[in-house]
This record gives sequence, C-alpha cells and structure tokens, in this order.
Amino acid sequence: MQFCGKTGSKTISKHFRLFWILSSAAAWVMNCCFSLPAMTDDDVLVRETVQKLAERVAAIPGLHGPLRLEWHPDANWSEGEGGHWQGIVRAELEKRALSLTEDAGAPALDLFAAETPAQVVLTAKTRVADRNEVRIVSVARALLSPISPPVAPVRLERQMIYENENRILDALSVGSGAEGGLALLLYKNFEIVALRLDSKGAVRDSVSLSAANLKPSRDPHAELSVRAGLNSVQLSGKVCEFLWEAPAEVKCHGERSASAAKSEWRGDVLLASPCDGSTWKLVNSGSEPNARQVLQVVPGGALPETNAAVLSEFPGPIIGTNRERNPDSALVIARSLRSGNYEIYKITLACGN
Amino acid sequence: MRFTRSRWLAAISAAVVALACVSAQAAPPRYGGTLHVKLRASSVSLDPREWIPGSLSSSASEKLASLVYDRLVTLDDRARFQPALAAEWSHDAAGRNWQFRLRSGVRFSDGGVLTPADAVASLQATLGKGFEVTPAENGVTIRAAHPVSDLLAQLASGRNFIFRVQPDGTLLGTGPFFVAESVAVAPVEANPSATKPAKVKFQANEGAWSGRPFVDFVDVTLGEPPLRQLLDLQVGKADIAEIAPDLVRKGRLEGVRIWSSLPRTLVALRFDDGLASPASDQLREALWLALDRDTMANVLLQREAQPADSLLPQWLSGYASLFESPMNLQRARELRAAFSAGAPGAAQPLRLRVDAPGDLFKLMGERVAVNARQANLLVQVALPLSASNSPVPAAGLHLFAWHYDSLSPRTELEDFLKQLREGTNLPVNTTDPEQLFVQERRLLEERRILPLVLLPEYAGVRANVHNWNASAWGDWRLADVWLDDSEDPMTTKTPMGTQKNGSPARNQGARP
Repeated sequence: MQFCGKTGSKTISKHFRLFWILSSAAAWVMNCCFSLPAMTDDDVLVRETVQKLAERVAAIPGLHGPLRLEWHPDANWSEGEGGHWQGIVRAELEKRALSLTEDAGAPALDLFAAETPAQVVLTAKTRVADRNEVRIVSVARALLSPISPPVAPVRLERQMIYENENRILDALSVGSGAEGGLALLLYKNFEIVALRLDSKGAVRDSVSLSAANLKPSRDPHAELSVRAGLNSVQLSGKVCEFLWEAPAEVKCHGERSASAAKSEWRGDVLLASPCDGSTWKLVNSGSEPNARQVLQVVPGGALPETNAAVLSEFPGPIIGTNRERNPDSALVIARSLRSGNYEIYKITLACGN
Repeated sequence: MRFTRSRWLAAISAAVVALACVSAQAAPPRYGGTLHVKLRASSVSLDPREWIPGSLSSSASEKLASLVYDRLVTLDDRARFQPALAAEWSHDAAGRNWQFRLRSGVRFSDGGVLTPADAVASLQATLGKGFEVTPAENGVTIRAAHPVSDLLAQLASGRNFIFRVQPDGTLLGTGPFFVAESVAVAPVEANPSATKPAKVKFQANEGAWSGRPFVDFVDVTLGEPPLRQLLDLQVGKADIAEIAPDLVRKGRLEGVRIWSSLPRTLVALRFDDGLASPASDQLREALWLALDRDTMANVLLQREAQPADSLLPQWLSGYASLFESPMNLQRARELRAAFSAGAPGAAQPLRLRVDAPGDLFKLMGERVAVNARQANLLVQVALPLSASNSPVPAAGLHLFAWHYDSLSPRTELEDFLKQLREGTNLPVNTTDPEQLFVQERRLLEERRILPLVLLPEYAGVRANVHNWNASAWGDWRLADVWLDDSEDPMTTKTPMGTQKNGSPARNQGARP
C-alpha cells in the first residue's frame, strides 16, 4: 500500500540546518550557501516526468529531427524554472536521437507547461506531414516541493531560518550557541504541536497539545514562552503548560467560552541598535491573508509613519513576531504567498545601513 | 535545484484577488456578529444528492453546503490534499482500492457521532456508479473498476460531502455551521410569477471539530437581482455579495472590493440532435467559424470573461491552450452557400433557445444571432425559459451555461457528457490527460457543442470582512472570516429579528 494521508511535512529545512551550523559565520556567506543547488526528490520526479514525455514524443511515427524547441509556459512559470525543465527536455530528447536546433526554419516542437489545481501538465505538440501530434504527461503538484523565495536585499539583515508547510503559530529561540535551537508551535492536522529543534534543525522533542483535549480553534493566535524550564502556550481563553520531557502531561487551564478571544497578546517587540543602543520597535500592520506585508522597524516612541522607519517586505502576511536571544534581533513568522509555506525569519538590526 | 511549484497560486491570487488595499492595524480576529451574504440564485438545495452536475444553481448550493457539511479531504492552495473528516488514507499501487480512516470524535451538529456508516451512505449517494463504498474499521473503503488516481480531487470537490439523513429526510452535517432558519421561496402575491428572495440563516456550530467559526451567524439572502446586490453592498446591507460579470466594471469604478475566481462557468452553444431535421455538418461548421468570441468576452462582458475554445478550462485540464476557434467569416459564407434552400439556418431560421437565466445570457444569444447573420445564417433567439409562461417551441440550438463543479477534469468531462450528450455512452475511464485531450478534441470536432466564453465568479467584499481567503476555484471559506464592528456600524434588521452585530440574538432554530 502506498500511504498518502498526512502528507509528510517538511519539518526541517536545509536552510535551518545551514543556519545553525554556520551561525557564527557572516550572514552574507550563509546567503550564498542557501542558494547552492541541492539535489532533492523533485529532480527525480521532474526527470521521470520529462522522460515519459520524451519517450512519447520520440515514438511519434515519422517524426525526425532536428526540431526547434519552443517553450510555452503558463504565465506563472518563472524563467529559471522553465529553463531547468527545458534543459531536461533537451537532454532527454537528444538521448532518444531527436536532435534539436535553433534554426528558425526547422519544424517546431512546441512544449506547453501548465499547472492545474492538482497537477503539473506538460504537453508536446508538433506537426508531422499533415497532422498535428500531441503528447501529454502530468505529475501531481503536491509531489514537487516549493522553493524558498529568494531573500531580497533589505536594509534590515534578514535570514529565513526555517520553513514548514503547516501553519507556524509562534517561534522562540531557546538556548545559545551549539546548544541553541528553536521552539515553535505548529497547527497541523487540526492539532497544536510544540516542537523543539536542536541547533542543526533536527526535532528533539514534540508535544501535542491534543493530549489535553484541546478544542480546535480557527483563531491562529498562540504564543509560546518558557519560564523556569516550564513551557507555556497562551491560547485564546486558555493557557497550557508542559515539559518537553513529559509530553503526555500537558495541563491546560483557564478555559472560557471559545468565543472569548484573548484581548491582549504579546506586547511590542523591541530591538536594540548595536550602534548606539537606541531602541527600535517592530510595527506589524495589516492583516489581510493575500497581501505581501511590509514590516516596519521604527525608532522607539516614533509613529509608524515616521521617515526614519526601516522597512522590510515579506513574501506574504506576517503571522507574528517574537524576541530573539540577541537584543538586536527578532524572529518574524510569515506565510509565503509564493510557496504557501510558513517561514521563520531572523531579522537583525545592523549598523551602517 | 528546487522549484517553485506554487507560484501558480501566487499568480492567481495576484491576478484574481483584486482586493482594495485596506490599511488596518494587526489585530487578533474577533468572534461574533452576523455575516450578511447575498446570492443571485433564487433557490438552493442543501441536499447534495439533488444537485444536477453543471447547473448554475449547484454553485450557490455548494457554497452554502460547505458551511454545513465537511468532506473527507480538502485541497489546499498549495495543491496538497489535506485531511478533513478522513484523518489519513492509503491506496494500492493501481489506484483502484482506497482506504480512508475517519477522524475520531467528530460529531454532527446535533451531537451524534460520525460513523463509517454515515460516510458510506453519503458517498454511495454522491460518488455515482463505478464505485463500491463499504465500511471498514474506523473508516471507509472505496473500490473502483478502473484506476482513479483523481479520487482525492473528486472527494475534495463537488457534491461529495458527508452527511447523515434524519428520519424526516433532512440532512445533518459536521461543518462549522448549522441551519438555524430557512425561509422558503414563496410567490409574491401581486405577481405570482415572481418570487420573494429566500433566506437561510446559518448559526455557528460551537462544537465543530474543525473549530468554531468566527461569526455567530451567516444570513443568506437568495434571488437578489444583480444591480440590487451591488447596491446592497455599497450601502452596507450586505457584507459579501455575488457580482454579475457585466457589473464588475461598474463595481470597480465605484470602489467596491471585488474578488474573482478562476473561470468557473462555460457559456456554450449546443445543437439539438433530437430534431426531425437536425443541423447539418456544414451548418455547425459555418456557425462555429462565424462566432466572434473575442467581442463577446471583451465588449459584451467588458473583459471580465475569456473566449472559450474548449470544454474544460486551462486551469482544470492544463491542455486547453491546444484548442483554437479561429473566426473565419469567409469560409463560413462559403459553407452557407452550399446549403440547400430549405435547410435550417438558410431560408428557415434556426431557433436558438437561451437555457440559462438572466439578461446577460439573452444578450449573448442575440450576439450569436448577429454573428450568424454576418455569415448569412438565420438564427432566431427564443425567449429565455424564465421570461415566458408559454410553452417554448423546440429549438435546434441552445445557449447554456455549465458550472464546473469538480476539481477532477475526468469527472467534469464525464458529467458534461452525461448531461449534454444523452445517448452517447462515452464513459471517461482514464485520468491520463492525453486521453482526456483526445476525447475532448473528438467532441469539439463534431461541432455539436460550440464553446463561447468562460466566466469567473465575482463577489464584492466589504471592508469590514477580514481574513477573506477564498480559494482560486471558488470556495469562499466563510468559517474563517471575521467581522470588524468598528468598520460596520450598521444595526442589522432581518426578517428573523433585529440584532446588532457583535451581540447576536441566539436563535435555537430547527437544525437541518
């Protein structure tokens, strides 16, 4: 049997691992590392899909090269992405003795790439003698994992350190140095799960709050904190406490009506400038789920509209912010509109920008 | 190398979610209030077993049914199937045998526990022939005679909700709301042929397994005329209202926040083969060549529609761009010149009946007649069904609207054939897109169905509605929206009583 349910969540990203391994190195170096190619299952799937198409094209009766490959992707395909698919197509066709050319007079082999809600569809169309020949293959989109969006240069130093396809409700830096890591809250399959990750990004501990018979909630707010070794999760109308060492002993209390939303959540996140020690405040405005969001970092006491604000655009709505270990840094959770993944960024206020 | 696979969503979101930028301080969502929704459909059925695939009314019915019922799985914006009532699932290598384990502890709105028998009974009624649905330990097993790699797409869409039939015939669901009150369609005394708008009031299901919705009530008014819907939105009588395609431009110009889906409705022509003298191959070909789809989409529908060359849209099949419908009046006239004098469309006009309701479709029918005339073809438009009390004479040509219900192109094509090509036993047993393409191409080349335009769904959304995150294919997800009282100062008066947003009256109405 092939198991499909609860599609495996990508709990640990390579970005995260790299980040913690290289945390002592400069952020710019890490940026470069992140963009290094990494072989994934995607490559295998893409190649298999293209191979299937190439086989079908090569089997078209009477089709001979050289052919001129014309790429027709849907508008949402990026140039780089399309280029990679094209490269594989070229290689696979030439493996099957179908040579390709740039000669404008050569017969065209039109290659269409489209995404449907559930599939990536690749279509090859060419003309042989007086007939059109069409070959189509597809692959489930869900099998191809999303890419991390490129990190744009910003005035705030910003680094994505973790991503997950499940909703990240909150994140917290724990420990320091090699002992450091992240603790986070995920909303997964209608359960809130607390994860502790080590400095390499591996899951050290996992605690499901469903052990406390917690009702599911549509309110995406939850806050994680640690006091004297006891982990506390503040939810709408309820507080749950647990120890990583005792995942079955989650205790929740203070439940009120499900509709009694918590009115006060975590206060302002403040950053301390490494240059002069001045205080800067994170201002998270906007709450629409389909908009990219700009995070403002404003001098303490200034209005959000101040000209002195440092801006950083995130690839989607910002879900939450939290302090980091270092006073000049903070964690920002955002949902990427590109990949749909939830991402944790570390932002750092740097001098000289 | 890794790839951006969900840019599709981002692009669609950017393209279709034409929402005005609303500056608001980040705030936690609020519970409470009544969401007022206005729909164009004059009536809906909350019984998925009654829905006719492809019908326009099934669109409104599905929107409201999703408030009350859940499905086994859902499709998220990242093209991943997510557990819903099924906590997990598996299938064999061939994709014929599927097992679904039901989520434990799920209850219907009356407190009854969801059982495998409920899921089996629901799916036996909705999945149709070709599937054997049986109970299994803690779940259901679905077997098909042929591989159904698209089963999850089917289960995540259309009428495949899970419900329990009550002894009185009404249905119970596990969804975020239940029906609190329902005012049936009733004739207006002064004009028996007109109907009062029906109302359906949904109340939050406090014990919903997926979490209580934010709003307390969803108050739905049906049968609102298109212009009235837009006005209601502008004066604050509606929070969300459907917008007719020909009013979208007006709405945008007047600052209404407008959302649109991917194209969900195909408008097309269908030749009636049941007539004593059906249209000839030449007539069908000539009319196909005479149709000016671009003008229909860009002028008549003010660029709020797309010319259609295929039965399934590109976003659903992925291959629709291979089809073309080039307008060629010269060739159409040549074909017309070869007609015999008494042939339909020559001296004898071809009757075109507009089967879809509303003035917009009638206008499109008239546009077809104009196009036909340019090729020297005679097409006479019959009144729409809803506008005439007298029997409508037989017509050789029908203008119809088809609503895409399913996320499975195979299912959609099969339903299309069942509904529109009676007598043609052409089951679509494959999910291979190439085979689907071949079948669709064959159908289109017969020229018995001539696609015209594709219409998205449009809705106006007031600024007080937050977390509006409808799917690109039209699922409104109303359980996730919340209302900001400060932006909605109105006090709402409904036939069910007077209430103020944020402090709704708790009606313990009959459950469905």
